[in-house]
Amino acid sequence: MRDSVVPAALARLPWVLILLVVAIGSFGLVVLYSAAGGSIRPWAISQGTRFFVFLGGALVLSRVREDQIKAMAFPAYAVLVLLLLVVELFGFVGGGSQRWLDLGFIRLQPSELMKPAIVLVLARFYDLLPAGEIRRWHAIWPAALLIGVPAALVMLQPDLGTALMIVAGGLTVTFLAGVPLRLFIGGGLGVAAAAPLAWFFAMHDYQRNRVLIFLDPESDPLGTGYHISQSKIAIGSGGIFGKGFLNGTQSHLDYLPEGHTDFVFATMAEEWGMMGGLFLIAAFLAVVNWGIRVALRQEGKFARLAAAGLATTIFFYVAINLMMVMGLAPVVGIPLPLVSFGGSAMMTVLLCLGLLMAIDRNAPTAR
Amino acid sequence: MNAPFPAIAAPPERVRLAGARVESASVAHFRLMVMMLLFIAATAVIAGKLAWMAVASGPAPTAASTYGLIPPRADIVDRNGVTLARTIDAWSIAVHPDKLMNPPEVVAAKLAAILPDRTEAEYLAILKSGRSFVYLKRRALPELIKQVNAIGEPAIALGREPERLYPQGNLASHVMGWLDQDGKPTSGMERVLDTRLTADHGRGRPVALSIDSRVQAALETELNAAMVKHSAIGASGLVLDVKTGEVVAMTSLPSFNPNAPSFGAVEDLANKSTLNVYELGSTFKMITMANAIESGVVTSMSHRYDATAPLQVGRFKIKDDHPQNRFLDVPEILVHSSNIGTARIADALGPERTAAFFRKLGFDAPADIELGAKGRPLWPKFWARTTTMTVAYGHGIAVTPLHLASAYAALVNGGVWRPATLLKRAPGQVPEGRRVISEATSARMRQLMRLVVMKGTGRKADAPGFRLGGKTGTAEKPRAGGYAHHSLISTFAGVFPMDAPRFVIIAMLDEPKGTADTFGYATAAWTAGPVIARTVARIGPLLGVMPSLTKDVDESELLPLLWEPKGANPNAVE
Repeated sequence: MRDSVVPAALARLPWVLILLVVAIGSFGLVVLYSAAGGSIRPWAISQGTRFFVFLGGALVLSRVREDQIKAMAFPAYAVLVLLLLVVELFGFVGGGSQRWLDLGFIRLQPSELMKPAIVLVLARFYDLLPAGEIRRWHAIWPAALLIGVPAALVMLQPDLGTALMIVAGGLTVTFLAGVPLRLFIGGGLGVAAAAPLAWFFAMHDYQRNRVLIFLDPESDPLGTGYHISQSKIAIGSGGIFGKGFLNGTQSHLDYLPEGHTDFVFATMAEEWGMMGGLFLIAAFLAVVNWGIRVALRQEGKFARLAAAGLATTIFFYVAINLMMVMGLAPVVGIPLPLVSFGGSAMMTVLLCLGLLMAIDRNAPTAR
Repeated sequence: MNAPFPAIAAPPERVRLAGARVESASVAHFRLMVMMLLFIAATAVIAGKLAWMAVASGPAPTAASTYGLIPPRADIVDRNGVTLARTIDAWSIAVHPDKLMNPPEVVAAKLAAILPDRTEAEYLAILKSGRSFVYLKRRALPELIKQVNAIGEPAIALGREPERLYPQGNLASHVMGWLDQDGKPTSGMERVLDTRLTADHGRGRPVALSIDSRVQAALETELNAAMVKHSAIGASGLVLDVKTGEVVAMTSLPSFNPNAPSFGAVEDLANKSTLNVYELGSTFKMITMANAIESGVVTSMSHRYDATAPLQVGRFKIKDDHPQNRFLDVPEILVHSSNIGTARIADALGPERTAAFFRKLGFDAPADIELGAKGRPLWPKFWARTTTMTVAYGHGIAVTPLHLASAYAALVNGGVWRPATLLKRAPGQVPEGRRVISEATSARMRQLMRLVVMKGTGRKADAPGFRLGGKTGTAEKPRAGGYAHHSLISTFAGVFPMDAPRFVIIAMLDEPKGTADTFGYATAAWTAGPVIARTVARIGPLLGVMPSLTKDVDESELLPLLWEPKGANPNAVE
C-alpha cells in the first residue's frame, strides 16, 4: 500500500460507496435531462453542479474527527431548533407551507438538516447516558423531548413527511440504544389509539385528504389522487424495459405533476422500466447496507448509534419516496435523494454520507 | 455474552458498567440486524410492487387502447371504418340564477362579452329570473369554458356532457340524422339504430353503414356543382349496389350540418331520396319496356310503332320531345325517348299488367329501407287508358329516387328485386329478393340501356371506359290543374359497368335552369347526365370498377336497328 502511487489518503476513501453515489447521481441527471424534454436546462445543469459540490463537501466532511462530530451534536441541534422557530415566525411561504429560510445565497430548510441532527444528538445523549441507566425513566423522557420539539415544530409548518422522518430517525437511535422493546410495542399501540385523535385534531384537511386518497386513490383521479394515479400510470406504462430514453409521455406531456422532484422515480420508470427501477433500488440498498456495516464495525456507542441512525435516515428517504410514488404510502412530499431535483435532500443525504465516511475513517478497526 | 447479567453478588461498579456496555453493544448489534432485515423486507415489498406494476400493466398503451371508456352511444362508421358519428365529452355552461353570488348586472355584462349569443339585457333577465337552472350554452369549446370560469361566479355551472360529433360535417347528413338537445335521435340512421347504439352490449362496437364516404363525397360535390350551376332548388343522388341492395351513397341537397345546433331551411332536412316523391318521367320507359318484353307484348326488337304524329287519346294528346315523325322500333323508342311509342306499347300491356309490374317493384308502398322518413308514392287512383299510357313514361305516378334505383337494379342484375339497405351487408346476409323479370329480359335491358348512352339521349352521361348505361328522364312538375312547363325534374338513372352491372347511380335535379353552355336546355341530358359522367369517372376506381376500352356490351343485334338520316349530326341531343 505504501508503495502505491496513489496517496494513502485517497486510497483509504470508500471508493465503492463513492462510485455507487456517483452512479445514482448521474442516473438522476440523465432522468432530469429527459424530464426537461432532452435539455440540460433548467434542471440537469444546476442539479449536476450541486451534486458535485455537495459530494466534494461530503469528502471534506469525511476528514472530520469523531470527537469533533460528538462535540457538534448538541450545538447543531440547538441551532436547528432555533432556526425552526425562526422559520415558523418569518419563514418563506412556499408550496402552501412555511419551510424555507432565505439566507440570500441558499434557501435553508432547517427541517431537512434536522434529520441527521436528531440522529447525532440522540446518539450523543445515549453515549453520555451511563449504560445501566438505559432501562430507567431518564433514558426516555429527554429523548422524547429531543424528538418531540423539532417534530412538533416541523408539523406546524406543516410538513407531515419530514416530521415523520424526524420521529422515525430519532426512534431508530432510541431503539438501537437498547431502550426496552416493550416501550416500542406499547408506543406503537399508543399511536394506533391516538391516530383517530390526530385525524380529528392535528391533521390539516389536505393531509386528511391525502390519507383518504391514499386508501382509495381512484376516488379522486382528477383532484388530489391525480398525483398517485398519474404516477402509477407512468410506472406501469414503462413495463419491464421502459419506453426508452426521452420517450416518456406521462412526464413530457405534463400529465405527471412534480415529474422532476418528488415523482422523479415515476418519470424514470416510464423511460427505463422496471429494470431502471430495480437498479436504483439495488444501488440505494447497497448504500444503506454500507452504512449499516459501518455501524456494525463501530465499538464506540456514539459512532455506532450515529452511523446506524444516518444510514437509516437515508433508507427512510428512499423507502418513503418509493412507497409514495407507487401508491403504498400517502403523498407526503419526501423527495428521492440524489435523483429528485432540489438541493435540500441532496445536501442532507450527502451530509449523512460524509458523516458516515468520517465515522468509518475514525473507527479503530477500519482497514 | 448474551446471557443475563449474573446477580450472584454485587460486583464492583466498574465491572458492572463494563458488562452493561458490552451487553448494550450486543443488543445494538442484534437490533441493527433486525432493522437491516426489516429494510430488506421493505425493499423487497417495494421491488415487488414495482415488478407487479411493470408486468401487470402490460406493454405501453397505444393511442387506441387509451380510449378505454365505453362511450354512451356507439360510433357510426362507413363501410370502410371511417367515422361518421362519434360521441365525445363536451362542455355545457349553465347557471343557477337563484344561487347567484355576484351582482347580476356585473355577471350579465361579462357573459354578454364572452357569449354574444344573447344580449346583456337577456342575460340579466335570466339571472334575475330566480329560476334554479338555465342552460347558457351547450357544446362549448375549452377556451370558452376557461373564459366563463374566469368570471368567478359560483352559480355558473360548467358540466361535461356527451356530445354527438359528426366529423365529416355535411357528408351524408340525411343518412345520419342528428340528435336533439337532449341527446335523443330525431331522424336518419341515428334514430333507426338508437336501440343498438345505446344498448349496453352494443355501445363499445361501432355500427358500419353501407355508405362509402369517398363515393358519397364525390357524388355530393358533383351533384352540388351541377345544382349551383343550373340554379336548381334541390338535388338527390344515389349509388346502389345492384347485387346486394346496399346504398353506397345517398344524398339530398341542399344538405345540412348535423353538428350545428341551428339548421338551415326546414325543407332541407327532408331526404329527397327517400321522403319526397317525384314524377320521374322517361326513366320509367325502361321499366315499361322490361315489362313489355317480359310479358311478351314486345316480341321483336325490330317491331315498329307508329310515332309519325302525336297520339290523341280522348281529350289528351301525347307528344314527343324529340319528334322523329316516323315509325320507331323498340331500341329507337328508347334512344329517342319517344313518349308516343312507349304509350302504344303500354296500351298493349294494359293497366293490370302495368300495375302488377309496378307493384312487384314496390312502387305502391314506401321505399324498402331502414330510414323512418319514407314517402308513400302517389299511386294512380283510377287506371284509365290514358293513365296506363302516361305512367309508362313516368307521368301520373310519383315515387322516390330510391324506388327508381331499386327498380333499375332489378332490371339489370338478372331480374331480382331486393330491398335497399343502409347497413353494410356481409355476403351471407344478402336477401334472396324476388324475381321480377327473367335473366334474358335483364340481358336485353342491359343492351338497351347501354345503347341509350351510346347513341341516344344519354350520351352526355357517358364516362369513357366505364360502360355506362341508363336513361334520362325530364318531367314537368305537376301544378294545380296541370303541369308547370318550366319547372322540371331532370333525372338520370344509370348503371355501370353495363357488361357486368355492379352499381346503379341516380342523379336528380329539382328545377334546374338552362345555362349558356347547355344552350338554355335544362333537360336531364344536359343537366343530370354530365353529373353522372363526372361522378362515375371519380367513383368507378374507388368501387373497383376499372375503365376499359375493350370491354363493352354486345350491341351488334341492336345497332343495325337504329336508322340515322344521312348527313345528320349524330351528336345532336336535346
